[in-house]
Amino acid sequence: MTAYLQVDGLDHRFGGLRALQECSFTIEQGRITCLVGPNGAGKTTIFNVITGFLKPDQGSVAFRGRSLDGLRPQSIVHAGIARTFQNLRLFTDLTALDNVLVGISGQFGEEPLGAILRPMHTARAQARRRMEAMQTLEHVGLADRARDLVRNLSYGEQKLLTVARVLATGAELLLLDEPASGLSAGALDAIMSLLRRLQNEGKTLLVVEHNTRVVQQIADDVLFLHQGHLMAQGTPERIISDPALAEIYFGGAL
Amino acid sequence: MDFLFSYIVLAEIYVLLGLSTNLLVGIAGIFSVSQAAVFGVGAYLVAHFMMAADPLSFIPSMLIAAACCVALNILVTLPSLRVSGDYFVVTSFGIQLLATAVFTNWAQGTGGANGLPGIPPPDLFGWPVETTGRYVLLCTLFAGLGCLAFWLIMRAPFGRLVRAIREDETAVAAAGKNVLRAKVSAAALAGAFAGTAGGLYATFLSFIDPSSFDLDASILLLTMVVVGGARTLAGSVIGPFLLLALPQLLTLVDIPTTIAAAARQLIYGLLLIVFMLFRPQGLAGERL
Repeated sequence: MTAYLQVDGLDHRFGGLRALQECSFTIEQGRITCLVGPNGAGKTTIFNVITGFLKPDQGSVAFRGRSLDGLRPQSIVHAGIARTFQNLRLFTDLTALDNVLVGISGQFGEEPLGAILRPMHTARAQARRRMEAMQTLEHVGLADRARDLVRNLSYGEQKLLTVARVLATGAELLLLDEPASGLSAGALDAIMSLLRRLQNEGKTLLVVEHNTRVVQQIADDVLFLHQGHLMAQGTPERIISDPALAEIYFGGAL
Repeated sequence: MDFLFSYIVLAEIYVLLGLSTNLLVGIAGIFSVSQAAVFGVGAYLVAHFMMAADPLSFIPSMLIAAACCVALNILVTLPSLRVSGDYFVVTSFGIQLLATAVFTNWAQGTGGANGLPGIPPPDLFGWPVETTGRYVLLCTLFAGLGCLAFWLIMRAPFGRLVRAIREDETAVAAAGKNVLRAKVSAAALAGAFAGTAGGLYATFLSFIDPSSFDLDASILLLTMVVVGGARTLAGSVIGPFLLLALPQLLTLVDIPTTIAAAARQLIYGLLLIVFMLFRPQGLAGERL
């Protein structure tokens, strides 16, 4: 049986730094997998490779048995994988609703000629997309902020909005880069229950997370990355109780 | 009356140029300082076709010139897809200097520094546009269509997409969109607007020379967008009408023409500085 997402022998160097070394793992469909490891372990680099923003020196990635090697980021989104960024990268001068709308694929009127020659059709198609985007915002609990500019949203709301934007793409595998970092307790609960809800709706999640409490609560499976290499894979209980991994994670290591 | 009419005609031609510059610089964030070069190519092409031994009429000349300017603008904007922001300004500066050199030195094609006189007036299906009054109608039609097209694309998903690209290309690609295609589309539209403006300009004045399409002209276009306001239709219309009123007002003051030209440049420069410092969103726009 082919794996849902298969990462095979990735190698990547940034100058003298070997960010990924023969990194291999698989992810199962419908599960929440947490990617953990100390700073500089290569977690974000893995995300960049899977989503096509970085070409690895070696190795390959396959999704549902289909190779993603050499595909551009937008093609990988259409293949069904979308990501968020650690530093959010929202469009701060646009409204929350417009941020979600940018993510919706296949809209009529994204080509200027279509918009000029068929204005009525464009307007009707827009109205439908707007409804879809509103539903996505409702889903993450931001419906009442739809008309607000992103820069006026709180940090917690902005994090929820990044999730809404990847949901809008229709992707089934979501790569979330530290969705829970820097959040207050209330916002943390909101995002954790959202992630659970997405899993129940059939999404598969790969999540970079530092907070061990969050990992314990949401992860079905944990990948422990160290110096660009997969050191261990298992249930959160097993990974967290392993003294060798704790030593690497909390200090002393290198 | 002709005085007022010719002001309106020129302002409307510059509205098309304002829309072009606003699309590229204000909306897509491609900071070009060579829009006057594209404007010039449109003007010279229309002049060339209408003055050829076997002349074309106005509409076909305009269509060919606009198509050429679409291709040209895509070509000169392509470096912006490889080099970003500040570096593209320098590249685009080079393109403008190159164009001015060609306009000035290619005597057979452009008449060189002496310019190209005797460009015939347009003829619209047997309706000669010979008086300034008729020209106002013609230019109002073109500027109106330009504004309509601008308004339609800005409220469509394309408008949202290019605004998003201006903010963060990486995030747009991560949202599954083709950044390259959207930028090329914006450049194509900007080229069509600039080329059309060039054709109207050449036939209206019946004489063109390189001084209308040099770096000063490109910077005047940027000043119009800054003063009028970036990313809005109103800004693209207000900027040209306001800035072109200035030389007209200076002609009413009793000063020698040599001083008037210098005074005009001085005031344009001051306006640019004052707006960037104190009102970067212009009169009716958003922050550039």
